[in-house]
Amino acid sequence: MSISVGVGLSTEKDPILAAKEAVRMANLNIHNKRADLAICFSSVDLASSILIKTINISLGEHIPIIGCSGAAIICNQDICKHGVVVMLLNLPEGVHFNTACTKELAAKSSQGAGEELGQKLLYGFKGVRRDLSIMFCDGLIQEGSNLIHGLQEKLGRSFPLVGGSASDNLKFQKTYLYFNQEIFSDGACAILFGGKLNFGLGVKHGWKPLGKPRYVTKCSGNIVRAIDNTPAAQVYEEYFACNLTELRKKLKYISVLYPIGIYLPGEEEYLLRNLISIENDGSLVFQGNVPENSLIRLMIGTKESCLTATRQATDEAKKSGANNFVLVFDSISRYILLRREANRELKIIKEGVGKDTPVIGLYTYGEQAPLEAISYHGQTYFHNQTIVILTVGA
Amino acid sequence: MHNLDYIYNVAGGLLALLTIIYLILNLLFKMDKIKQLQTTTEKLKKSLEEMDEQAKLIVRTDIELNKTQEELDKKMSGLYALQRLSREISTTLEESQVFKMVSASHLQDLGFEKACGFLWGDHERRFFLHLNVGYMADEIEAIKSSVNLDKDLYLNLIQNEGSLSSISASSEAKIKNKINEIFSVKSFVISPILPKEGNKGFLFVGTENVEAALTEGDEELITILSNQIGQALENARLFEKTWRAQQELEKKVEERTHELTLALEEVKKISKRKTDFISSVSHELRTPLTSIKGYAAILIEEKLGAIPPAVKERLQKVNNHSNELVNMVNDLLDIARIESGKATMKMENQDLKNIIASVADLIMIQCKNKNIDLVLDIQNDIPCVLADRSHIERVFINLLGNAVKFTPQNGKITIKAYKKDKAVQIDISDTGIGMPPEALNMIFDEFYRIDNPINQQVKGTGLGLSLVKHIVEAHKGKIWVESNVGKGSTFSFTLPAN
Repeated sequence: MSISVGVGLSTEKDPILAAKEAVRMANLNIHNKRADLAICFSSVDLASSILIKTINISLGEHIPIIGCSGAAIICNQDICKHGVVVMLLNLPEGVHFNTACTKELAAKSSQGAGEELGQKLLYGFKGVRRDLSIMFCDGLIQEGSNLIHGLQEKLGRSFPLVGGSASDNLKFQKTYLYFNQEIFSDGACAILFGGKLNFGLGVKHGWKPLGKPRYVTKCSGNIVRAIDNTPAAQVYEEYFACNLTELRKKLKYISVLYPIGIYLPGEEEYLLRNLISIENDGSLVFQGNVPENSLIRLMIGTKESCLTATRQATDEAKKSGANNFVLVFDSISRYILLRREANRELKIIKEGVGKDTPVIGLYTYGEQAPLEAISYHGQTYFHNQTIVILTVGA
Repeated sequence: MHNLDYIYNVAGGLLALLTIIYLILNLLFKMDKIKQLQTTTEKLKKSLEEMDEQAKLIVRTDIELNKTQEELDKKMSGLYALQRLSREISTTLEESQVFKMVSASHLQDLGFEKACGFLWGDHERRFFLHLNVGYMADEIEAIKSSVNLDKDLYLNLIQNEGSLSSISASSEAKIKNKINEIFSVKSFVISPILPKEGNKGFLFVGTENVEAALTEGDEELITILSNQIGQALENARLFEKTWRAQQELEKKVEERTHELTLALEEVKKISKRKTDFISSVSHELRTPLTSIKGYAAILIEEKLGAIPPAVKERLQKVNNHSNELVNMVNDLLDIARIESGKATMKMENQDLKNIIASVADLIMIQCKNKNIDLVLDIQNDIPCVLADRSHIERVFINLLGNAVKFTPQNGKITIKAYKKDKAVQIDISDTGIGMPPEALNMIFDEFYRIDNPINQQVKGTGLGLSLVKHIVEAHKGKIWVESNVGKGSTFSFTLPAN
C-alpha cells in the first residue's frame, strides 16, 4: 500500500478564496479519499488567521494541518511568490503519525522548547517504530541549533529530523507557522512518522570555499567572537574592503551569498552558516551554532554550482525508491542567487523524481537535515544555503 | 696484550671520530633540509596569502556582479510590469477604471509598495484622490489634506511638466524630507499626469525600503507610466465625449424619424383623402356625363325631331367635350385606383417585342400623317417582363402620343429596348421641341402642362404622364426624362426583367 496524495494550489489574492480553491483542488487530486494529514505552505502575504481557519473548515475540522509561510512556495506547477499550496495525505494501514507544536520560544530556552516538542510528539508512540520527523520553525529565531538539540534529546541523537525555517518576503520581520486552525510566530511545529514509512533524503548546497582556512578561536553558541585570534568581523571587513558600518549595509547580500563554511571531516560539503548580524565589538552572529576551534572558510556560490548541487541532492533522495510525494526545503539564498532561473531548479527536481510525483516545498531561512558521513551517526544539523529534498513513500 | 689494547683504543678513537664526523655531517644535512622546508613553508604561506588576496578580489567582484544583476532583474521585472500595466491601461475606456488598473502587485514588480494618484479639480480648486495603494484610510486622509495644503508644489510640477524624485530633489533636502514625511516613505517618484483633455494631476509612487535604492531608470519608468495614464485618461475622455455626442445624435435622429413618420402618416392620410375624393367625384361625374352624352347623341341623331344645323354643330361640340371629360375622369379614376392600391394588375410574362410592335402599329398612322420616321431598336434577346399588358400598352401609347404631338413634320421617334442589370429599360426619344430644365421635375405631376405653343393649340388633361408614372411605379419600375429645348426629349422607364 502506498500513500495517496492530493495537491491543490491557488494564487487567488483573497485568502478565503485561495484557501477554498487550494482545498478543493487537493480533494479533487486525492480523488476524494479520506485525508489523514494536511501539509500547507503559503506565501507570506497570504499568511493570516482567516487563511488557516478557512482551510481547517474546508477540510473538516478534525484533519491535522501543519505548515508555515515562505518567501515563495514551490509545487509541480510553478514557483509562486503569491499563493497557497495544500497537500493532503491518505496514509495506509501501518503508517502512524503524530503532530505537535511549541509556542512562545522567547519565554523559554530553545533547548527546552525542543524537548517539549519532542515529548509531545512521542505521545502515543509507545511500541511503534519511529521513522522520521518533519519540523517547521519560525525563521527568525536565533537559536535554531538548540531547538534541534532539545528535540534530539527526546527523539534520539541520530533520529532523522528534516525541516525548514519559515520565511517572509526577505524583510526578516515576521514568519508564520500553521498548526491545525492556528497561525503563530516564535515557535515550532513538527510531525513524527512511524511504522512502515520509507524515505530518501538529499542535502546539498553547492557553495565552494574561497580564501585561506581560518580557525574559530573564541565562540559561544551562534556568536563567533574571534577568528584567528582577531575580532571575527575583521575577516569580512578584509574580504569586502569596508568597515563595520558599510558591512552592515551590505549584510543583506553578504548574509545570503557569502556564508562561512565549517569544515566537517568526512563530509563532502562544508556546513554553512549565514551571517545574521554584526555586534559592535566585532562579533559575528550566525544563524546556527558554530563549534569553537572549528576550521572555517568564506564560501561563494554560483548559479551553476547551485544547480549541480540540486541535481546531486535529487539523485541522492531518489535512491531510496520512495516516491509517493516530495517535500523541498530550499534556502532563500538559492532563490536570490538563481533569481529568474529559480524555475530551472524546480525543473531539475521534477525531472529527477518523475514529473507525476507530487512536489511541494518552500523557500526557507534555514534547513534542518542529518549529515551524511558515518562519523556523525546521521545526526541532524542546522543548515543554510542548502536544498533539502525529502522523498517519502510507504 | 698491551699492544692489543692500544690498537683497540686507537680503533675505538677512530670509530668515535668517524661517528662524530658522520653525526656532524648528518646534522648539517638535516639543517639544510630544515632550511629547505622552511623556504617551502614560506613559499606555501605566501601562496596562501596571495590566494587569499585573490579570493578577496573575487568576492568583491562577485558582490558587485550580484548587485548589478539584482538591479538588472529589478529593471527587467519593472519593464515587464510596465508593459503589462500599459497594455491594461491602454485598453481601458472608462476614466474611473484607468487608475484602478494600478495594483499592488504591479507596483511591487516596479519596486514600490505605495502609490497615490491625484487629479486637479478646476472648479473646486483642489486635488482629488483617484488612486490609493498601500495606505490605510486614516493615512490617506492625512495625505489628502497635506497635498491640498501644499498644492502649489504639485501644481508647479504639472505646469512645468517635470517629475520630482528622491534623486532629482537631492539638492532640495527640505522638499525631499517633506514629501518623505507626508507620504511616509524613504524614496519616491512624483510624475505629472498630463492629458490634453480635461483635468491634469500627478502620480506618486514610493517605497519604505531603505535598501531599495532608487535609480534614474526607476524615475523614467514611472514617468512613462504617468504618461500612459495621461494618455489613457485622454482616450477615455474623448471616448466619453464621442459616445455622448453619438448618443445625442442618435436621440436626435430618433426624434426626427418620429416626426417624419408622423408627417408621412399625415401626408398619406391627406393623399388617401385626395384619392378618395377624386375617386368619388369621378364616379359621381361619370353618371351625369353619361346622361349628357346620351341626350346629346339622341338630339344629334334627331330622334326627337329635326334640329337646325347650328344647333347640331353646338351639340356635336357638347358631345366632343363630354368625351374629353369622360377620358379625363377615366384617367383620374385609374390614377386614384393605382395610388390606393385598388387597381388590379394582371401580372404576366410579357414579350416586349410583341407589345411594342402592336403599339407601333397603332401610332404608325399618326406618324405617317406628320411624315415622322418611327425607328424600333429592340435588343434581340430581350428578356420577358412581368407586367399587366393593358397598362403597359397605355404607358407606350401615352409616351408615343406625346412624342408624335411634340415632334414636328419629318421628325424622328425611336423606341429603344434593352436589358440593363436586372431590368429592361425602354427609351422613347423624339426630335421634338423639347422641354426647359425647370419643367422636367414637374411633368409627372397631375394637371401639369408645359406652357408651349403646341399645348396651347392641342387640348390635354395633364394627367397622361402622371398616370404613366403611377403605372410604371406600380410595376416596381422607374421613369425619368432627359430633354433639350429644340432638340427633343427622351423618356426612359424600366420594368423588372422576369
